[in-house]
This record gives sequence, structure tokens and C-alpha cells, in this order.
Amino acid sequence: MAIDLCIMLDGTVPQRNENDDGVDLTLIRWMLSLTPAERVEHIESIARSLQEIKELNRDR
Amino acid sequence: MTGSLLTLLRELSRRNVEYIVVGGMAGVLHGAPVVTADLDIVHRRTQENVAKLLELLNELQAIFRGDDRRLKPNESHLLGRGHVLLTTTLGQLDVLCEVSEQAYEDLEPFADSMSLGDQLEVKVVGLEKLIELKAAAGRPKDQIALPVLRATLEETKRRR
Repeated sequence: MAIDLCIMLDGTVPQRNENDDGVDLTLIRWMLSLTPAERVEHIESIARSLQEIKELNRDR
Repeated sequence: MTGSLLTLLRELSRRNVEYIVVGGMAGVLHGAPVVTADLDIVHRRTQENVAKLLELLNELQAIFRGDDRRLKPNESHLLGRGHVLLTTTLGQLDVLCEVSEQAYEDLEPFADSMSLGDQLEVKVVGLEKLIELKAAAGRPKDQIALPVLRATLEETKRRR
């Protein structure tokens, strides 16, 4: 990936945002910045949204 | 009580039920960005612990999921070796007597203690062990989660 070869003007190498499996590392870093309880709350809000979308599609 | 798996975790811990979180929720607690719709736990199969767990399940009106007879779990279900898949007023709860033939006592040495606030601690199977269990299970849904879990483990180690 191009970003792996990129070196900033100050000599630092930027963090990779994706690993070889295509996993978004920025999401993992963000999740790790939360407390365990916040992580569960976040995932539950996504699950609720997915359920709402599913119900909207069912009503169509 | 609000319908929330987080509340369910807190209720289990508040009542001193001995259990270890496994499955997708264990990955979430470790920081993996995976979506899960249920809570999987492996409980200690002693009569005292099963009694505490059953008392909570009764309060949460737990019944077997996908069974029109609305069967309630009982002591023999929770003292057995199978998977007890339940619907409760706080969400979907899978009470696993064993996972990949490993019981509470087998998993406990590989469990991490995590704070849920309010001085409540929850035991969560370690990320390396979770990856091992998912890889051993070999089901497509477990295989899909593995790259994210492995990347989370690498990132966690990098931060130490």
C-alpha cells in the first residue's frame, strides 16, 4: 500500500489505517479508546439501528 | 430495567453470579468493532451458582428462544453440558454450560477482569483464548470475525 512507503517531511512514518486483511485499524483504535461499558453501549446502538432498518424494510 | 445487554451484564455481576463472557460480546469488551445481538456466558455449574442464575432468569422472564411452548430454563438445563439459548426482558442471552468442551473452570485462568463502572467487575475470556475458541469452532460466522479479533489483539499488544 502506498501509505506504507510514505514518509512525512519530519521523517515520521504515518500509522497504517488498514492491515493486510483489510481490517480498518482506525475503528479498532477508536474502540480501544473507550471504556468496556462504552464499547458495549456503542455496539448496542448500532444493533438497535440495524433492527430499526430491518423493521422499516419489513413494513414496505 | 431497560432492555440492554449492558444492564444484563450488570445484573449478573450485581447478584454475584459466577460467569465468564465469551462470544462476540467478549470481543466487543476487548475493543473489537464487531456487532453482536446477544450475550454469551459460560457459568460455573455449582448448585449454588445455578440457583442464583435461575433466580435472575426467572425475574427476567427468560424462556427458550425459538420455542413456541415458552419453556423456562430449569436447574437440570443449567447443570448439563449444552447451550441454553434464551430470550429475556433484557435481550438475548446464551447460557453455555461448555464451549468447545471447555467449562467455566477451564476458561477462568484465561479470563480478564473488566470494570463496568458502579464497582461492578465482569470476567471476560481473554482475547487470545477467544480467538482460539472461534478458530476451533470453525463456523462461518466465527471465521468472519477472526481477522478483526486478531487485528484487535495486535493493536492491544502494540499499545502495551
